[in-house]
Amino acid sequence: MVGDPIGDYLPTFIRFLLLAVAVVGISIGVHYVLRNVFHVRREVAIGYSLITPWILGFLVFNLTPMLATLVLSFTDYNLQQSPNLVGIKNYDTLINKDVNFWPSIRLTVLYSIISVPISVFFSLMLALLLSKKLRFIGVYRVLYYLPSIVPAVAVVLLWRWIFNPDVGLLNTALSPVFNLIGQTPPDWFGDENWVLPAFIIMSLWTALGNNTVILLGSRKSVATDLYEAASIDGANTFTKFFRITVPMMTPAIFFLVVVEFASAMQLFTPAAFARATPAAGRFMNLLIFSYGFEQSRMGYATALAVILFVLILAATIVLFRSQTRWVYYEGQEK
Amino acid sequence: MSTTVTRPTDSPKRIPWSPLRVGQIVSKAATYLLVSALGVLFLIPLFWLVSSSLKEGNHIFDQPVQWFPAVPQWNNYPDAWNALPFTRFLFNTLFVTLVPLVAEVFVSALVAYGFARFAFPGRNFLFMVMISTMFLPDAVKLIPTFLIWKQFDLINHYDPLVLGSLLGGTPLFIFLMRQFFSSVPKEIEEAAIIDGANVFQTFTRVMLPLIRPALLSVSIIGFQGHWNDFLSPLIYLNSQSKYTLTVGMYFFTGGVNERPHWEWLMAMSTLMVLPILILFIFFQRYFIEGLTSGGVKG
Repeated sequence: MVGDPIGDYLPTFIRFLLLAVAVVGISIGVHYVLRNVFHVRREVAIGYSLITPWILGFLVFNLTPMLATLVLSFTDYNLQQSPNLVGIKNYDTLINKDVNFWPSIRLTVLYSIISVPISVFFSLMLALLLSKKLRFIGVYRVLYYLPSIVPAVAVVLLWRWIFNPDVGLLNTALSPVFNLIGQTPPDWFGDENWVLPAFIIMSLWTALGNNTVILLGSRKSVATDLYEAASIDGANTFTKFFRITVPMMTPAIFFLVVVEFASAMQLFTPAAFARATPAAGRFMNLLIFSYGFEQSRMGYATALAVILFVLILAATIVLFRSQTRWVYYEGQEK
Repeated sequence: MSTTVTRPTDSPKRIPWSPLRVGQIVSKAATYLLVSALGVLFLIPLFWLVSSSLKEGNHIFDQPVQWFPAVPQWNNYPDAWNALPFTRFLFNTLFVTLVPLVAEVFVSALVAYGFARFAFPGRNFLFMVMISTMFLPDAVKLIPTFLIWKQFDLINHYDPLVLGSLLGGTPLFIFLMRQFFSSVPKEIEEAAIIDGANVFQTFTRVMLPLIRPALLSVSIIGFQGHWNDFLSPLIYLNSQSKYTLTVGMYFFTGGVNERPHWEWLMAMSTLMVLPILILFIFFQRYFIEGLTSGGVKG
């Protein structure tokens, strides 16, 4: 085999084991200290010691990097020299001078705002369809889930072919329609006006399966006695759907919208492979990667990351605020 | 509507061709037609993937589309496999998939157990913090995390892809497993403790087996995530021999002096889908059960 696999794996594996021992040690240490120094109850000590790995991970991989990002975004760090504070220069350059910035924000935000509701809506319809008593339900579940298990690299390539203006599946299928209205079919990834629709269609195909499976589960967990009670009260199918099914599913729908939105804003792999025309702007995560790792402008790239974070945070807060209006939680008075 | 025809005392099933029954059959048929049509729509691109993997490189984009290659190029598979050290890439991918997966699932289960079963001050607050990290963009953490590993001189080692799994667990996994643990009756644990089991024994011998569906679904999700991960190996690994399958495949998209080998890329993608497909087909029932029992509640 090429290289030295054992020589590559073994040191990492040893460090892995050492770290495992260390984490166990720290967890037990937490328990010991809480019991013997602070004299807390046994249950409390066990609780804290069980979640210790998460607390460690939170400090090392969440809190520290976040604070570091914030600090780095005010510097000119470039991996070679030690960072100098430059104040808000990075933000100023990004917002006022960088020609890539606004197109990137526009593309990323529009993509997220449009693709998420569409994909969640279709997933909901599909989940409701699949929740009927069907034979071969397993086959359909596998079929719909297929797109989400194909590696993103292959998916994007597939779509590059589907969207190919000359020989692609979509334009071949659409050409009679376009001939009819006397237009040429779109160039999709090659035309800045069609990049966004192309990405949205692509995302729909990928996300649908995943979301449908989650919504299907939520649909199945709606208690049947609710429907029975409603039937006795004389509710029809339509009423049952809008008064029981949809409200009971809103927590799952909400969960999906929040998660999907955050991940749509961070689209990376499809964006990296699609080779869409740069005229339409580049997705923010791709731009961060390009500034940070291709051009080694770490400080500048982190400023962009902070802006991305603020956008996602704002959207998440708005979504959580909107919860009281449309999300129904069991055991909670309306 | 149909009440004039159907006598109310009779169940509609007894009358073979009442309008109600015809209506039911039509709606059933329409449902099947719709779900099948959608299924085919979802299958087409995948079918193209497999069929392209068996075509000659310069015939993939032929017009009209050849759904079945005239002469299947089976040798695309060995050719692609040997064009780059894919045997090595496979072992690399298995290493950076399985090692973190085991750790991640086990640690997440421990943390979930702690959150589900032990009342400690600040539990709800910490749980909210944990959930909120789910919505934290990776992009924000990407560069400093890279710098942390660089500080330890572990770039171009597998450590950045493997060690993190021991710390923290994965919020989504913790969340799902906590739901499961919460639904286990307390008496079961109490019985174990009376039998003299300590917390760790109760956890591994009693609780873990009880949440098997959840363990299975998070394992499948985790496997898929590591197996298909592209960004992290791309950032952290520099020497070719250390690459994973996804990064190796990337080279088939063509370089400065090289034409793209789409047929090879398709062949490798097809191979990469197989393990996940098999996992999913075998475990799909538990997979869905594991994702949803206890409901996705905020």
